[in-house]
Order: sequence, then structure tokens, then C-alpha cells
Amino acid sequence: MSQTSEIPSNVHSRNEDSFSRSSVSANAPSTQSGGIATAPTSTEVPAVSVRNASKSFARSDLPPIEAIDDISLDVALGEFVVIVGPSGCGKSTLLNIIAGLAEPNMGSVSLQGDDDAERIGRVAYMHQIDLLLPWRNVLSNATLGLEIAGIPRADADAKATELAQRFGISDFLNAYPATLSGGMRQRVALLRAVLPDRDVLLLDEPFKALDAITRAELQRWLSDVLDRTNRATVMVTHDVEEALMLGDRVLVMSPRPGRILLELDVDLPRPRPRDVVREPNFVELKWQLLSVLSGESVR
Amino acid sequence: MSVLPQTENHVPPESATVASHRQTVSIWNRLAGYVQDWGAAILIALFGLVAWELSVRLFDVQEWLLPPVSKILSELIADPPLFISNGWVTLREILVGFMVSTTFGFVMATGMFWSRLLERSVYPFLIASQTVPVFTLAPLLVIWTGTGMTPKVVIVVLFTFFPITIGLMTGLRSVDADMIAMFRTLGASKWQMFTKLHLPSALPYLFAGLKVAAVVSVIGAVIGEWIGASAGLGWLIKTSGSRYQTDKVFAAIFTLSVMASMMFILISLVQARMLRHYHQSDSEGATN
Repeated sequence: MSQTSEIPSNVHSRNEDSFSRSSVSANAPSTQSGGIATAPTSTEVPAVSVRNASKSFARSDLPPIEAIDDISLDVALGEFVVIVGPSGCGKSTLLNIIAGLAEPNMGSVSLQGDDDAERIGRVAYMHQIDLLLPWRNVLSNATLGLEIAGIPRADADAKATELAQRFGISDFLNAYPATLSGGMRQRVALLRAVLPDRDVLLLDEPFKALDAITRAELQRWLSDVLDRTNRATVMVTHDVEEALMLGDRVLVMSPRPGRILLELDVDLPRPRPRDVVREPNFVELKWQLLSVLSGESVR
Repeated sequence: MSVLPQTENHVPPESATVASHRQTVSIWNRLAGYVQDWGAAILIALFGLVAWELSVRLFDVQEWLLPPVSKILSELIADPPLFISNGWVTLREILVGFMVSTTFGFVMATGMFWSRLLERSVYPFLIASQTVPVFTLAPLLVIWTGTGMTPKVVIVVLFTFFPITIGLMTGLRSVDADMIAMFRTLGASKWQMFTKLHLPSALPYLFAGLKVAAVVSVIGAVIGEWIGASAGLGWLIKTSGSRYQTDKVFAAIFTLSVMASMMFILISLVQARMLRHYHQSDSEGATN
């Protein structure tokens, strides 16, 4: 990314109306219009492209719930995009749509520019809860995706064992989930998600269920462990600091129906040490995010 | 990180707490565990037996009305082959019926899992079959299939297939939606999901059904023998009863309930072994 580290220039208004309502000093002209976020290095086809997606859920006897409304988003390979928003703003719905677990009512989603292809099974997805199978040990939980893909057991085990080293779980490969701490279980869940080598990785509040210390530890660990060069990552969180620690780009979503209110490039150098939170740049970005978020929740 | 106030909380975050209690527990601890689990029940049983023995003697109850416990025990000891050979006849009926039921239940539950049409067409009749008092069918079965082993097995099956089928079916259906979503994102086919997710998830439910079936299977076999048989514990109870050999009746009942309990315990042991990783409490527990 060759953008200046001047913070205001990094701010793209996604929605003039709500942007002006937020308390961000709005001297930044919107560099984008039409609501399409372009990846910083996007001459090639984006790994994930969401176009004007809306989704609502029908309810009996009640008006339908509008989960997300007219969301557009491009994520390039090698990019880490974080979506922040209040609880129940449709963040998970957006991830489900990208993963192919759900289809938007309007709009479209494509992977590698391929509009019609099945998305299910092509996107790695890590949920809020670890969803480990209690009857399988760590190794065979981690290799589940490879096993489903029909990769021979020996190859799968070798691949998992190798990566387990970097994930810090090599000592527990034969342990069963019930004996592991929450943080360890999340590591195994992430290993299971990334082993099948997908271009797109979705993380749905992966550290939500963890205590503050473990969470901070895992945030640092995640940015170390993910080989970001060949993968497009979309993470959802409601933790602003987490978003800035990990993201190349942060999108702020409004409460339901979820729309993208603000897009922020995070020009902090990597690796980001823990004390990056004290740097003026970081503080300024965090303040911008919080202002937009609180401006929306007051409404 | 340095500003964290609670320094006494110095557990290294993220060093997994792989259970230290997985080390072999000493025999004495184990024994103490059994006493804790079963001690109260055994005490109550002993108390009841002693009270029985004493009150029969104290109030001078006629032996053919209610024999004392000691008389029942001596009956058992006097002629073990009588109870063993008749017990074996009954046990065989139970085991064959049990295997038929398990197979039938497996086919039915799996079929209903895969085909809503099959479920809609068969399920009502499964329920209906349980509303018919099986006892009333017994004479018909004797007429149709004679007094051999077949009618007993059929009655055992009628008693046991229902809990097994319903248990397995419920288990196959009650898989967490998030788990299914996770399997889908990994690209699992429906068959892979069935074998790797639904079936293992259903095991606890299947075992619950098997345990109920184990207990009621004994009832089924006895009813079958009641109607027409030349051997078996049910037959022994009936013939002894008509001769006012109350002690023999009680001895046969005792043998039956031991048999049912053994089956229950056997299934519980297999369950504990197969499901030992399913719940956290299975590997912990003894600590509190």
C-alpha cells in the first residue's frame, strides 16, 4: 500500500448521510463513490466480490428482518479485511453469504470473478465457537476438511502435523477437545479451517468466547501464523482494537439492516506489536471507528 | 500486557490444560468411587431384605404366601441348573429379539432420516404398534407360530424396537445447525455428513434407547413364555405359581431381574467405553 499515513485521506465515506452524522472530522473527500470498495492492489480479479447484496429473513405474522442492505465489498488475495459493527448488524449473515451457506435476496457474490459457481466448499470458514467433534482427537479434528476432500490419511496427517508446529498445538495432537482450554480449541478450529488451502478465509468473531488475556495472545498469534500472501481474509468482530491490530482495511457496519458506513485503510506497519495501541495513528483510527459506531448506536 | 493488574493469575495463557487427572487413578480411589455411586442403593437393598426376612418370621407368615428371603436363597442354591437352564432359554429369546430389533431400528431410523416420504408413511404405524397391548397379541402369535422360540422373539422385538428406533432417529435429527454449516463449508457430501457427523452424534441417543430396550426385553420374553412354553423363566414362574411353590417363583423373579440388570450394566459399560470422549465430565468428575 502506497497511501500516505495522513489519517483523514484514508477515510472513504461509504454513506454520505450517516457519515455526516458521525462525529468524524469530515474533511476527507470521499475517494470512492457508488459504494464499491476497491482493494488497494486490484488490477486483477478480486478473490471475493460482493455486489449490492441484500438479505432479509421472512417471519410468520411479522415483517421480515432485514439483515443486510445493499452491501458491496471487494477483497483481494493477500488482503485482511475486518468488519466491525454492533451486535446483530448482520455481520454473520454477510459471512454466511460469502461462504455460500446463504444466498442474497438481491445482488450477487463471486469468487475469483466467477459469478455462477458454487461457493460452498470453496471458502474456509471459522465460526465463533470451535465446533470441534468431541469424538475425534485434535489431529483428526484438524484433518476433517482434508479427509472430506478425499486426501489420503497419511498425507493429511503429515500436512496437519507440520502446520501444528506453527500453530503451537503439536504437543496436543492426540488429546481430545474436552481436555483442551478454549484458546487451544480455537487454534485447532483455525487449523481445520486453513488446512484445505482455500483462497478465502472467513473468521466470525473467532475470539469472542475467550477471556481478555487469551484473546490478546491469540490476536498476536493469528497475525503471525496466517500466511497472508495468498489468501483473502475477512474477519468480523465488534472489538475495534482487534480490528486495527489485524486489519489492512476496516469496514464499519450499521445496526440492522447492516450497511457499510465507513471504510478505513489501516496504514500501520506490520508486524504490529502490542504497544501499537499507544501510537497516535492507532489512537486516531480507533477514535474514528468508535465515533462512527457510537454515532450509529445513538440513533 | 504489562499493565495487567492481576498478577496472581499467573497461569500462562494458552498452555493447554491437558487433564492431569488422566493419570491412572489408584485402585482405592476407584473403589471409593464405586462405594459412593452404589453404596446407598446396596444399603437400601440390604435393609429391605433384612426387613422382609424379619417380618415374615416375626408375624409367622405362611411360607406359600410369602417365603422368607433365606428360603428363596436356599431354593436357588439347591438347584442351580434349574434356573441356569431356564434362564438360558429366556436369555436366548431376549438376545435374538434384541439383535433383530437393533437391526430393524437401524434400518428404520436411517431410512426415515434419508427419506421424509418413508418417515411420513411409516412413523404413524410405528406409534400405532405401541398402542396395541402386546399381551393380547400373544395368543395369536402362538396360534400362528407355535410354542417354539419364534413367538417369544417376536414379542421381544415388539417391545424393544420402538425405543431403539426412536432413540436413533432422534439422535440423527438432533445435530447442531452450526455443525452442519461447518461440514457444508468443508464441502462435505450428504453421505459424508451422515457417517462423520450424524451417526456419531446419534450414539448417545442410541444407547439411551438400548438401555430402555434391555430392561423391557425381559418383560417381553416372559410374556411370550406365559402364553405357551415348555421352558424358560416365565414358564417356571407360571408352573411354580400354579403349584403354590412361591419360593421358586421368587427365585425365578430374582434370576430374571439379575439378568435384566446385567444387560443394562453391559450396555452401560460399552457406552462408557465408546462415548468416553463425548463429555468433559467423563474424564473429570472424581474431583468434586
